[in-house]
Amino acid sequence: MTARRKTTKRRTKAYREFVSEAEEILERMRDDLSDLADRRGQGADVDPELVNRLFRSAHSLKGLSGMFGLDGVSELSHHLEDVLDGLRMGRTAVDERALGLLDESVALVAQTLEKLEEGEGAGLDEQAAELIARIDGWARAPKAEAAGEGELDLEPAMQRALTEYEEHRLRENVRRGRRIVVVEANFDILSFEEGLAELTAAVREVGEVLSTLPSPGETPEAQIRFSLLVATDFPPEGLAARLELAGGAVRPASRSAAAAAAARSEPAPGAADATAPAEAEAAPRPRAEELDAEAEPAGEADSLAGGDLASLKSISETVRVDIRKLDELMNLVGELVIQRSAIAKLARQLRQDAATARLGAELEKIHKGLERKLQELQAGVLEVRMVPLRQVFEKLSRVVRRLRRDTDKEVRLEIRGADTELDKLIVEELVDPLMHVVRNAFDHAIETAEERLAAGKPREGSIRLEAYQRGNDVVIEATDDGRGIDAEAVHRRAIERGVVDAGNHLSRREILDLVFAPGLSTRDEVTETSGRGVGMDVVRANITALGGVVDVASEPGRGTTVTMTLPITLAIIQALIVGVAGERFAIPLNSVRETLLVDPAEVQRSDGRELLNLRGEALPLRRLASEFSLGEALREQKQYAVVLGIGDARLGLLVDRLEGQQDVVIKPIQGPIRSVRGIAGATEVGDSGAVLVLDVSALVEDSRSREAREAPARRAP
Amino acid sequence: MSEPVETTRRGPRPGWDALARAALRRESQEDTALRREFVTFHLDGDSYALPIEAVREIVRLRPITPVPRVPAPIRGVISLRGEVVQVLDLRLRLGLPREEPTRATRVMVLHGDDGGVTGLLVDSVRDVLRIPEEQMRSDSGGDHEAVAALLVRGNEFVSLLDIDRVLDLEA
Repeated sequence: MTARRKTTKRRTKAYREFVSEAEEILERMRDDLSDLADRRGQGADVDPELVNRLFRSAHSLKGLSGMFGLDGVSELSHHLEDVLDGLRMGRTAVDERALGLLDESVALVAQTLEKLEEGEGAGLDEQAAELIARIDGWARAPKAEAAGEGELDLEPAMQRALTEYEEHRLRENVRRGRRIVVVEANFDILSFEEGLAELTAAVREVGEVLSTLPSPGETPEAQIRFSLLVATDFPPEGLAARLELAGGAVRPASRSAAAAAAARSEPAPGAADATAPAEAEAAPRPRAEELDAEAEPAGEADSLAGGDLASLKSISETVRVDIRKLDELMNLVGELVIQRSAIAKLARQLRQDAATARLGAELEKIHKGLERKLQELQAGVLEVRMVPLRQVFEKLSRVVRRLRRDTDKEVRLEIRGADTELDKLIVEELVDPLMHVVRNAFDHAIETAEERLAAGKPREGSIRLEAYQRGNDVVIEATDDGRGIDAEAVHRRAIERGVVDAGNHLSRREILDLVFAPGLSTRDEVTETSGRGVGMDVVRANITALGGVVDVASEPGRGTTVTMTLPITLAIIQALIVGVAGERFAIPLNSVRETLLVDPAEVQRSDGRELLNLRGEALPLRRLASEFSLGEALREQKQYAVVLGIGDARLGLLVDRLEGQQDVVIKPIQGPIRSVRGIAGATEVGDSGAVLVLDVSALVEDSRSREAREAPARRAP
Repeated sequence: MSEPVETTRRGPRPGWDALARAALRRESQEDTALRREFVTFHLDGDSYALPIEAVREIVRLRPITPVPRVPAPIRGVISLRGEVVQVLDLRLRLGLPREEPTRATRVMVLHGDDGGVTGLLVDSVRDVLRIPEEQMRSDSGGDHEAVAALLVRGNEFVSLLDIDRVLDLEA
């Protein structure tokens, strides 16, 4: 039990990462196992890709747990891997007992992780040992003979290059009477991975890719040729047309046909136009022979061929970086920018003096170059922080699949725009609110199949997640086609709870907005699936903390859309620099709707409030000078109104000057006063020290709540 | 600087920044059991001290950006190599009259965990004082609640500040 002591102490960051990664692997395995069981139940063929993925998961789990000294889990995963290897190689058939053992193993590993999370140490080693013994027993027991495999008739060079697994799949497909063909295609050296992935995906629609081999032969300059060994029911000619091969061909893989093909890889009849046949002809022959010679030792080629290598490669080309390191880099870039402005100043001074004008011009030129490179550097650092939303969306789709399994609701999750990128920090913080919104939709919004059919809707409910970029923001919409929000019920409840006054008239929008108020839920009971009773108020708090906005729209009987608008990055924002009295402030540009020059005569007063008629709408005004007690506001001069918008709320902020737009890095303000209402942080602008960044949502909210407090008084006669 | 420097002269002394920083770097390596080190500084003509461990660095005054909606002793924020740090005017905090900054004015930057780095605005920084613990006298009924003890230096007293109380602005 040395493992137990070792592991309980390891509650480091790396350890936590291990747990979350292991949990993800387990979740995937659970999904795959249940798919496997489903398919088997339906009498369908075992999907080789599924078994393969399970095998890879077990393999990853083994490596991970071994690294963290979880000997029991590592040992168990090792045996799992054996079982799965047997299945994927066709040595054993997928039967009830094998599935049972796999299920049990996954459950036990999950249990072990849970115990570890609670700090109890492993302690399940005995159970693991018992399970391993049973697996061994099963492995030794005589099993249903895996079906015999078909005969091969393959080009020798190709056959030598196949791994054991690939050969097994080949035989299996031959046995089933499928056609074995070789699909050849040329790709640009620089982008062959994408092209190959596309082709592979296309082939998978019509058959199984047995093996992918780099192919010797004449290729145009800067191109690389691959051969895919494919099992399909499609005739070769149809396949070529369907795959829209550029500069490639489809030919039968049989030995007899190989002789002809090997002499010269001529495009087969029916193949799409080759990109550059002339170039292919002109390619120097010795080059082709070199390639041939290199590809000769087929024993090594098999390691090149498998998908395992591809996955290893992608790991080695990615680096995990602590995001704080990127923050440090960002800080450094910020400092460089400030240094740069000092150089700019110096260059200007030098230019003004006739004696140093030339030197100044020279320095200015250098400065320009420096400025450009700095901008690139800044953009580069930012880009590194960006990750696609895909991972979060995939997590959500796993959750929906699990919910679908655990309940009897039929709900489909549609995902769009998973490639939309956001700052890594924001993406992390989005998981919880999104999860909540999706669970809410699943649990509360989507009706049962009977209710849906009765309402004339399709039996299957739908939740759609869509992400897209809009200017400096990323918008994520979660739309369901469920029952919609009962505004009446929300309003009643809000009155009961004292959230709003019964006498106040509220628009439908305002009522819908109440779902974000703390302590309001349209349904009384909190079910298993909706989680810990976390309300939409938490969702709003989470999104607001990220500098974002969340809104809801709903039509009774038709569905609900929750829209989240988020800044692309927290690290750097575009800001409008404004001046009030002697001070400057930065206003995040994503909340600035417009700016207006306001004549004092245009400002109207009503009940002590100042308003501006903005295209027929009354825009409430606040003077930043009075808000922040920066001396007497200039009431007799023209001022600028910066129209701020958070969701539907608008506020005109009066300032003395507009000083332009700038990219700024928001920094927290350190010191004994932990937070100042209305100030989001500070930034450095040029070499003149810190500039405060306004917290627009706080300013707008304050203005709105003042309005609300004063509103009933005004309505009274 | 192995012994405290006796000095009768007050006001700016060149090079104190560097000296203070060197002292910081040296940390307390030898006979720490016997002696403690303090950074001493002036406010309105009197001598004050802070434990050297509390001080991260000492910098010249730089432009202070005022911050609205904070208690008066917080003069604003300065930018410090990528950090934005509040500056507390120690004169105002201790109820002394406000004074325009001079060439000698310094900001003593205090360590702070979890976003608590703070700059203290002082008239000038004097030196590092190393004295045996027995020369510290707890201050009973001193001028200000923020004074924790009196340090004896030759024929003068130096007020040792209680850093937690200085930074507690709610009080």
